[in-house]
Amino acid sequence: MIFGVLAFWLLVSVLGAVLVKNPVHSILFFLSSVLAMAGLFLSLGAELLAGLQIIIYAVAIVVFYVLVITTIPWEKVKRFEGVYKKELLFGIPVVFVVFLLMGYMVLRGSFAQPVGVVEDNVREVGRTLFTSYLFPFEVASVILLVAMIGAILLGRKEE
Amino acid sequence: MTLEKAYILLSILVFLIGLLGVIARKNLITMLVSTEIMLNGVNLTLVAVDKVLGRVDGQIFSFFTLTVAAAEVAVGLGLVVAIFRLKGYEGSSEIVHLRD
Repeated sequence: MIFGVLAFWLLVSVLGAVLVKNPVHSILFFLSSVLAMAGLFLSLGAELLAGLQIIIYAVAIVVFYVLVITTIPWEKVKRFEGVYKKELLFGIPVVFVVFLLMGYMVLRGSFAQPVGVVEDNVREVGRTLFTSYLFPFEVASVILLVAMIGAILLGRKEE
Repeated sequence: MTLEKAYILLSILVFLIGLLGVIARKNLITMLVSTEIMLNGVNLTLVAVDKVLGRVDGQIFSFFTLTVAAAEVAVGLGLVVAIFRLKGYEGSSEIVHLRD
């Protein structure tokens, strides 16, 4: 029941984000899909990931998109709205066939055997993140630093 | 069909809709939004399989996906603004400098 409502909400908002004409409306649909995805994470028992999804996507990334759109003159944005009709008509059958193939694989296959039960999600995630995955965690901080330097370099004015 | 398979089917569908958006959108910014939708779909698969297996490794991989998404948005939007400032357009059909 919960899954049905959240899945319907997610699919409607994702289709709206892809197909709607105005870029600002597309970003608002994307915000709605992020909220639905956080609800799905909660229903799967991943509380920490649901919170981070809201903090990072719904606050940081969406606000960043809106800020960038406000810096671009509106009449230049209006020249490129919507979707390419021909590419959309070619893309829909391809996507449908790929979905049928992958869905067949998922439905016919079987999962691996469960290896344990997670009681406290946040504690378990923190412990695993700071023991088994400590080095990838440090590398992620380096990635963020490099991305910040790159964004500053790309965004500076040419003298 | 168990509920976890339904989650995975939903995530495949979200990923493919995002792919369709990358193929068909005209605006560079909305193409980046479609990329974010694809990353979200992958995250949903990781968390659903985590629920089946009773582990947390997939969620940690989703954290790294979030990191990459944030970095991608910073660099990608910087590139879009730089293209717009240098060339004055932002349609995905007009950036053909590598082709000709």
